[in-house]
Amino acid sequence: MNEAPRQITLREWDDRYERLQTRGVRQPVYGGPLGRHVADGDTRLLKLRYDSSLAALRLWNFLLTEEDRLRAARDAGKKLVGTMKDLGTVPVMAYSLDNLVAFYPDGAWWIPCVMEVNSGLLQIADSLGIDESFCPVRAMLGAFVTGTHFPIPDLLTCSVGATCDDFSAIAQRLNGLGHPILWWEIPHRRAPEVEEEAVQLPGDFSAPKGQIEFVQSELERVKTALEDLAGQSLGAEALAGGIAKANHVRWLLAQLRHLAFTATLCPMPALEMLIAEMLAIHFCSDQDETIVVLQELLEEVNLRVAAGTGYSSADAARVFWVNPVADLQVMNFLEDCGGRICGTEYLFAHALDPIPQTVPPMEALAQIALADPMVGSAADRAVRIVAEVRRFGAEAVIVSRIPGASHCALEGEIIGEIVRQECGLPVLEIEVPPLTDAMSPTLRTRLEALVETVENRRSR
Amino acid sequence: MKTIAYTCPYVPAEWIAAHGLRARRLVPLPIEGTSTIPRIEGLCLYARAFVNDVAASDDVSGVVVTTMCDPMRRVFDLLVRRVDTPAFLLNVPSTWQTVAAQRLYLDELKRLGRFLVRLGGHEPDKEELIRAMLDQAHGNGVHGTGFPNAMNRVGGPTPYGHGVPLALVGGPLMLRDRVLFDVIADCGGRIVLDATETGQRGVCGPFDRRRLAEDPLMELAQAYFRLPDASRRPNSELYRWLKDQLAQSGAHGIIFHHYVWCDKWRAEFARLKEWANLPVLRLDSEGDGPIDMVRTRNRVRAFMEMFQ
Ligand code: SF4
Ligand code: SF4
Repeated sequence: MNEAPRQITLREWDDRYERLQTRGVRQPVYGGPLGRHVADGDTRLLKLRYDSSLAALRLWNFLLTEEDRLRAARDAGKKLVGTMKDLGTVPVMAYSLDNLVAFYPDGAWWIPCVMEVNSGLLQIADSLGIDESFCPVRAMLGAFVTGTHFPIPDLLTCSVGATCDDFSAIAQRLNGLGHPILWWEIPHRRAPEVEEEAVQLPGDFSAPKGQIEFVQSELERVKTALEDLAGQSLGAEALAGGIAKANHVRWLLAQLRHLAFTATLCPMPALEMLIAEMLAIHFCSDQDETIVVLQELLEEVNLRVAAGTGYSSADAARVFWVNPVADLQVMNFLEDCGGRICGTEYLFAHALDPIPQTVPPMEALAQIALADPMVGSAADRAVRIVAEVRRFGAEAVIVSRIPGASHCALEGEIIGEIVRQECGLPVLEIEVPPLTDAMSPTLRTRLEALVETVENRRSR
Repeated sequence: MKTIAYTCPYVPAEWIAAHGLRARRLVPLPIEGTSTIPRIEGLCLYARAFVNDVAASDDVSGVVVTTMCDPMRRVFDLLVRRVDTPAFLLNVPSTWQTVAAQRLYLDELKRLGRFLVRLGGHEPDKEELIRAMLDQAHGNGVHGTGFPNAMNRVGGPTPYGHGVPLALVGGPLMLRDRVLFDVIADCGGRIVLDATETGQRGVCGPFDRRRLAEDPLMELAQAYFRLPDASRRPNSELYRWLKDQLAQSGAHGIIFHHYVWCDKWRAEFARLKEWANLPVLRLDSEGDGPIDMVRTRNRVRAFMEMFQ
C-alpha cells in the first residue's frame, strides 16, 4: 500500500478497517480492528495516534495478542519459558528448540500504561511491599499473582548481577512467593586489564576473555535447563540456526532503523518504531511471525522513502531518545512538538546488534549478553550513544527517566555530561510515568523548548 | 602506610592488609557540606554519602567499591569521573550457589590484589594474610580503626541490661544513625542482635584453622562470600542466618531499617514480615539529616507499647 502516510486515531483506524474489509483486504489470524483491544481493558489505545498503514496495523495486532498466542502455544503442548531481565539472549536459545516458546514477563512494564492503571496490578504489587519507589516493572508481580496477563511459565530464568536493583528485588519477591527461578549471573562488564586477553564485543565494547568464559558457563546452565524442559538437546548446529534467524530479525530492524532515522521525511512514526524494536527482545512469542511483521513494515517504509512521502517536514528536529517511555503517548508528543526520532537507545541496544557468527554459538551468545549497555558503566553507554548520535545526525538528546528505576538517578547526569562534551548537543532529561495526562502540558512545553533550541542552533 | 577505603562487607580487610596497606571501612558520617555527588531524587543516600566522604578524606590512597547494588555501581561511575583517588570496582556475584560464582569472586580478589600492588602495596604475603585473618578472629583488628569497632561505632548489640530485647535488621547505617540505638533504649528497648550491614551481619564467620593454614586466600574468599545479604540471589541464606541469630539472641521484636532509595532492602520488608514470627517495625530513613528524631521516637515508642 502506498498511500500518503497519516497518523490516525483508534476510531479512525476502526472505520478504515471496515472499509478495508469490504475491499477484501486479508488479515493474519490475529488481525482485526484495533478497537477490540479496548474492550479488553487497553484503554490507553484510545489516546494514541497510529500510522495508517496495514503494516502498522499488523504490528499492533501482533503486539496486543501475545497472551492469546502464549495460551495457544501451551494448548498445543509447547512449554513456556519466562526469560526475565534478559534482553535477547536466552530467547535465542529457547527458539532454537521447536517445542519451547520464550516470552518476556518484564513486558508487564507497559500494562499500567496500556490499561491506564485499571488493571489492579500495581495495587497487588503495593500489597506485596513493592510500591511506587520501584519502576513500573513491578506490575509483573501483579500479573504473576492474577495469572491473567500471561500464563505462568514452565520455567523462569532471570539474569542478576549487573542488573537493576528494581528487577532483582522484584524477582526475589516473586521467588519468595513460591515461583522457582533459575538465576544466572551477568557480571558488570569492565575493560580488560593489561595482562588480560581482550575480546571485542558487538556495540564496540570490549571485555576480558575471562568474563566471556564466565558468562558462557552461566548460559550453559540455562541451556541445560532449556534442554531438560524441551526433552531434547540443543546442538551447536541448531543453535547456530537459531542465531542466524535472530540475526535476520536484527537485520530487518537495522534496515528499518536506518531508513526511519535518516530519510529526509520520517517514513515511520516513533511509536511504531519503538514497538518494532521491542520485537527483537523476545519476538513477541512467535519468531516466524516477527519476521513477517517486520518485513511488511520494511516494505512499507521502502515504498514511502522511494515515493518521498513521510511525516512532518524535512526540517523536523532530529532527536536521539534514551530509555523507553513508560507512557507510549509521549512518542506521539515528540512529533506533535516538531521533533522526529533519529536514533534510540531503549536499554537494549545489544538486542539489535548482530550476534557474532564467526565464533562458536554459545560464545557468541555470551558476547552479546555482555554487550548489554546496561551491564557496563554509564560512561560506556554514553560512548555508544555518542557514536549513534553521530551516525544518525541527531541534533538533540532526550534522556527519559523511568520513575523509580535504580539506574535512572545518576545515568542521565553522566550521559548528559559526555554527550555535551563530545557532541556539544542540547540534552533534555524528562521523567515519564506510566500516565502523563496530568503533566502533559509541562512535558509538551519542554519538548517544544528543545525543538526551538535545535532550530535556533541551526540558524546560528 | 597507605589507607584503602571501602564500605561493603564483601571487601576483605585482611586481603588489603596482606598487601601491606591499611584497610579502612569507611562508614559515612556523612560529612557536612560535601557534594561530589549532589542530592539526587532516586539515589540511595548511603551510596552518595560514601562517595562524598571518600572525596572529603585526604588520607585515602585508594577506594574499593563493589557491585552489590545498582546505586554503588552507578556512584562508582561518578567517583572515577570526579575524584582523583584511584578507585576499584570489585565484582561480587549476586549468585552464590555455583562453583563458577565462587571462582569469580576469588578471581576478583586476585585482581584487587593487582590494583593494590599498583597503588604501592607489596605482593600479597601469605604469612601476613594468615596473621591478619588470625587477628580478625581474635578481634584485634585490621579494619583501620580497630575491628570490629569499625562497625560498632555505629551501634552494635547491647546484650546486657534492661529493656525489651530487639533485633535491628537492614542494610548499612551511617555513623550519625547511631542515635537510633539511644532512641530505642530510651523507649525501653535493647538491641540484642545488630543484623545490619554495619553490624554483626557484616562480619564474616570464623575461619577454618586448617584451611587457613593451607590456602588462606581460598579460605578468606569462602568465608566472605558466605556473608548473608538481601542482595544475594536467591537470598535464602539471609533468612537462614536470621533464623539462627534471632533464636540465639532471644529477640522479641524486629526493627527493620533501610534508606529510602535502597530497593534491595526495601523489597525485603514485606517478606520479612510474613516470615518472622515476631512483630516488625519499619523505619525508612532519608539519611540526609539527623534521623527525624520526633517521628522515629514516636514510632519506636508505639512499637514498644506492643510489648507491655
Ligand atoms: S526500566 Fe530500568 S529499572 Fe525498570 S526493569 Fe528495566 S532496567 Fe530495570
Ligand atoms: S543502602 Fe542499599 S542501595 Fe544504598 S548502598 Fe547499601 S545496599 Fe546499596
